[in-house]
Amino acid sequence: MSTINLLIVDDEERFLSTAKKLLEKRDVSVITCTNGFDALRIIEERRVDVIVLDIKMPGMDGVEVLRKVKQNHPDIEVILLTGHASVESAVEGLKLGAADYLMKPSTISDILVKVEEAFEKKRAREERQRKSKVDKIISHPMAVFDDEEE
Amino acid sequence: MILSRVLLVPFVTVMLVFGTLVYYFAANLRHQAQEKLVNIATGHRDLIEQFLRERSFDLQYVFASNSIREITDDVRLGEIFERLQTRSRAFLDIGVFDENGNHVAYIGPYDLRGKNYARTEWFQQVQKKSPYISDVFLGYRNIPHFVIAVRRDEAGHPWYLRATIDTLFFNNLVENIRMGKTGEAYLLNKAGVFQTPRRSGGNLMEIDPDHNSYKADDNAITSFTAQNGTGERYLYATGRLSPTEWLLVARQEIGDAYAPLTHAVLIAVGLIVAGGAIVVFTAFIMASRVANQLTVADMEKQEMGSQLIMAGKLAEVGEMSAGVAHEINNPLQVMKSEEALMKDILDEMEGDGNPRVTENIRLLRDSVDQVGVQIDRCKRITQGLLKFARKSQTKIQTVDPHLLIAEVVDMVEHRAQLENIQITQEFEPDLPVFRSDPLQLQQVFLNLFNNAIDAVRQKGGGEIRVTISRAGDALRVSVADTGCGIASEHMEKIFLPFFTTKPVGQGTGLGLSTCYGIVDRLGGQITVTSELGVGTIFTVRLPLAGPPEEAKSRPVTHEQGGRTT
Repeated sequence: MSTINLLIVDDEERFLSTAKKLLEKRDVSVITCTNGFDALRIIEERRVDVIVLDIKMPGMDGVEVLRKVKQNHPDIEVILLTGHASVESAVEGLKLGAADYLMKPSTISDILVKVEEAFEKKRAREERQRKSKVDKIISHPMAVFDDEEE
Repeated sequence: MILSRVLLVPFVTVMLVFGTLVYYFAANLRHQAQEKLVNIATGHRDLIEQFLRERSFDLQYVFASNSIREITDDVRLGEIFERLQTRSRAFLDIGVFDENGNHVAYIGPYDLRGKNYARTEWFQQVQKKSPYISDVFLGYRNIPHFVIAVRRDEAGHPWYLRATIDTLFFNNLVENIRMGKTGEAYLLNKAGVFQTPRRSGGNLMEIDPDHNSYKADDNAITSFTAQNGTGERYLYATGRLSPTEWLLVARQEIGDAYAPLTHAVLIAVGLIVAGGAIVVFTAFIMASRVANQLTVADMEKQEMGSQLIMAGKLAEVGEMSAGVAHEINNPLQVMKSEEALMKDILDEMEGDGNPRVTENIRLLRDSVDQVGVQIDRCKRITQGLLKFARKSQTKIQTVDPHLLIAEVVDMVEHRAQLENIQITQEFEPDLPVFRSDPLQLQQVFLNLFNNAIDAVRQKGGGEIRVTISRAGDALRVSVADTGCGIASEHMEKIFLPFFTTKPVGQGTGLGLSTCYGIVDRLGGQITVTSELGVGTIFTVRLPLAGPPEEAKSRPVTHEQGGRTT
């Protein structure tokens, strides 16, 4: 199983650093940032498989970040982290394509389970896409030149 | 108060109308009664006047048509008297007098011939006025009577003819009047002396004690009312007889004269009283109905007002709770991850051989575990708050009320039995299934049952009765206990979060506020009635169609932590 590239976005810096330590021990490659703007910049620069995104943040809120992520990188799975007061936002997020949501406070193992599930989902999808692409190339070899995806 | 106000206006109006009517009606009747008496008196006066005139004329005729020689002859006078008596039986006797008042001829029952009348009243009057009708007097015969006398001059000497009118005959004539029971007529002379007897007391030639109160007009009949010496009131009609100076008095007792009036007024008053009673009765019924409606409306308004205030207060507290819960959840998240980190580090530290260090690590691990437990406790509180604040998700399904309650009863039955509490279930037959969130409802009823058990336990046992019935388009579930009840000062606070009567540490005070939040979110209402020492009834009303937004459409809903596919 390959390493998961995880981005955690939350305005609580202490949570970020602790979570990073804990998850890296569990073989997850973790990048953290404290706001949406940084998050959007990071996904342009680096490979990110899964994002754990706090909904309530100063500046750009999680739902807005999710919308932008899904616009440019629909393959990145997003798990929303909610302080529960904004469960409506979580539901809205699910409609916008978030993979799942988590209630604060959640244990690290809860978070890890969800992250792995999301990553698994992503991988399965990529596998399907690759397979269908291969099938396509096999049946229509010339199509490889038309393909503009990836 | 309201009754008297409602009554006053119609009552005064009716009284005014009836009063005016009765007044004019009575005045008219009184006038009619007087008119009737005046008419009778007028007719009677005319009759008596005519009688007196005719008798006077009879005498004048007889006197004029016979010479003095003829008329002083007894035989001739006898013939004349007989002829007069055929004309009127009122003549009692007849006599002729010379200018000196000597009675020269007489036909009649008394022996009066030869007596001298020069000094008598009638003889002096007839010299001045002929014909002359005397007042009643005794005369030589010593019997009350009156006479008609006429004068005639022959050969320079005056002669006088006099006839006595039969008193009985005349009295009958005057007294013969019919008016009610007490109607009567009589004659008085100028001095108020009875010229005919009065039926109700008053003999001939006595003075009528009341004669001064009689009004008399020379020409017309006068009508008036007056009181006699013994206090009885009479309606009078009086008039002078023109050939004499006698006064005809016709009178009737007021009560008798106004008997039809009294009847009419009695009937009218009876009508007023009956009508008034009906008006009062109707008004009373209407007023009390209106008053009742007002009271009921007032109470409803008051209840609605207090419910609105309550709901408003709870909504406000809900907003605040949600904010607080959210703000606490963030630091809890940090603490939770710190706890995990600490445990990781502790795991790495194990395996060092030093027993003191091993013991310390054990203590530290225990302490960190306790921190974890307390974080979870905080988490439960914030989740409770968020449920109350309607911030958690609902999952609407079709719910069978029987199953729902039966499951909850199953959960609490064992505990109830230990506390000597009987749980009775009363389900209306043919209860419909309904749309709601069964897990959240389970929590609601679990809370209500637990509260009920706590309440009954304090009394050392009793009963909890759960009833389900249909109420229109809603389902009504009530949980009634025979427990200690809720003090009235607590009633308006019981749904507020953190309100509890339990000792510190034994209850968070979130149970009922959570119930309220859930039921409210499911489109229902939860109400409570309680009597201290008797028991408490919690009633939950749930719409059959589910919460309002659910009833309209069925949006996609997600369980907490659920996954999209």
